[in-house]
Amino acid sequence: MTAGSKKQEKPKVAFFDFASCEGCQLTVVDSLQTHLDLLDAVEIVNFREAATLNGWDFDIAFVEGSITRPHDEERLRRIREQAKVLVALGACADTGCVNALKNLLPPEEVRRYVYGEHADWYETYGARPLSAVVKVDAVIPGCPIDREEFVEVVKALLVGKRPPIPDYPVCVECKLKGNVCIFHVGGICMGPVARAGCGAICPTYGDGCEGCRGIIPHPNENAMKEVLDEAGLSVDDMMHYFRMFNAYREVGVGQWE
Amino acid sequence: MRLWVLPKEQVVDMVCRLMADYRVWGPQAKGPQFAFEPLPDPTAIRLDYNISILSPKVALQPPQERIAVFHLDGGFTVEPVIDAEPTVIFGIHTCDLHALALLDKAFSADFPDAHYLERRQQTLLVSLECLQPCDEHSFCKSMGTWTADSGYDLHLMDLGDAYGVSVGTAAGEALLTQYAQARPATDTEAQQLHEARDAKRLRFPNRLNFDAAELPSLLATAYDHPIWAELGDRCLSCGACTNVCPTCYCFNVIDSPELSLKEAVRWRRWDSCQLDEFARVASGENFREARAARQRHRMFRKGKWLYERFGELGCVGCGRCIRACLTHINIVDTFNAIHASQHRR
Repeated sequence: MTAGSKKQEKPKVAFFDFASCEGCQLTVVDSLQTHLDLLDAVEIVNFREAATLNGWDFDIAFVEGSITRPHDEERLRRIREQAKVLVALGACADTGCVNALKNLLPPEEVRRYVYGEHADWYETYGARPLSAVVKVDAVIPGCPIDREEFVEVVKALLVGKRPPIPDYPVCVECKLKGNVCIFHVGGICMGPVARAGCGAICPTYGDGCEGCRGIIPHPNENAMKEVLDEAGLSVDDMMHYFRMFNAYREVGVGQWE
Repeated sequence: MRLWVLPKEQVVDMVCRLMADYRVWGPQAKGPQFAFEPLPDPTAIRLDYNISILSPKVALQPPQERIAVFHLDGGFTVEPVIDAEPTVIFGIHTCDLHALALLDKAFSADFPDAHYLERRQQTLLVSLECLQPCDEHSFCKSMGTWTADSGYDLHLMDLGDAYGVSVGTAAGEALLTQYAQARPATDTEAQQLHEARDAKRLRFPNRLNFDAAELPSLLATAYDHPIWAELGDRCLSCGACTNVCPTCYCFNVIDSPELSLKEAVRWRRWDSCQLDEFARVASGENFREARAARQRHRMFRKGKWLYERFGELGCVGCGRCIRACLTHINIVDTFNAIHASQHRR
């Protein structure tokens, strides 16, 4: 913000969702409990989960959810055309999250399992992150998102900076908290390759990280596999750890091409 | 040097009295391990700890702190934030004590760091002599940090039922007389103290196969050693080694505006030379992109560069980086391997 500039209009913000549990939007609502000033900083024009607003005149679109049907693409493209800034809100939108687990399986099997004899009635294809369909300007990782990080991203967008999403692993935040390493107490943790930003919340409370925020840009996967091997995991189990939240990264849409 | 005797049952009393006037940091149980943290109550102190997850530097250089506040409402003003209060760090092992002496130099050099130095100014150090090596990874004897003759305000040494206390400074002596019911040591007790210190020499192994004083010259010819590629292949770039290191002091600075955009906070947070982006500069160039180069950088800092800058090796032999590394990158093995290969030639 330049000093002495005249008071600018508040950016108009909209929230949309695709295949997701809507927990990330719920976290946004939750963040208002501690950051009520968010409402002074922006004008919300569309937020189905929280308000009866359905405006389509917006600057920033926060989009939750994965794209799982061909006709989702059309709506996402409409959002993209309107938005000056499109933000993938949460793991489903950012990485495909657990929705992409179906990409590991044969399409027919999945369709029969979910929709039974009426499988043919339903349109569905391989789950994918928003970035597989449109250009995404910023992401807020995590399942669910971290509410403090959401607020930090909003602040960064307000001043026109790139949102400060860490590209280092969870181990960094875990060490800064002085935690006992999960591996030192016989656990399994994806912390060395998973993206930080959550404040290492799972290891802090004694659970291993499952990589819900995605994998860092340059993971040393061979070294990580050796760590997991030493911790007693079979190759199959390792794959489960790498795929649970990051199946799209591993196989794309798989056999759903 | 004046010696005192503090009966062990008096330690909790002493800490209790100190807590009235100081923030007291000490080793406490954390799961099956130990952590240096402000003591919530005097009985939480565990002077029988082997080693803390993070070193006591956390009391002087916190992992994250606010260092300035900007006011942008009608002009631009900056207000430094110096967060310091009277503090006692109680139970510092001598490896960590030597590390704090190095941090004192690092934060005083070039641009004296007001945040660290103001805290340091208000902090008293009570150290504790180890009588046994903490585990198979420590190599304090090799690094000459297994004992200490200075750097502390008070120094404790276990004599069985009591601690023998060496006074390092006038402030330390005042601490002892005002907050503890210690008595001057008898000649026999003083003798006992010296003997205990002599006796421990044999219990501490030298893990480095050569004199640590050779490290700077050894590394001078090892810049292109094949071992760095090997370490690079194993390194996860998780930063555990530097974050647990008692002498690492690198930090990043992050500015975060308030939502009103009328105020902003400048934070600093520990950073690590092992992370991908550490050496990326404004033009986009990253001059230590390879993990091998980053591991080499760390080892050179510990064994050569800090020595050249501050006259002390950057490693105190606490072994934390070895314990923390999930892929078993071992600074002692690395230095020994380089020494062995140079020796063969």
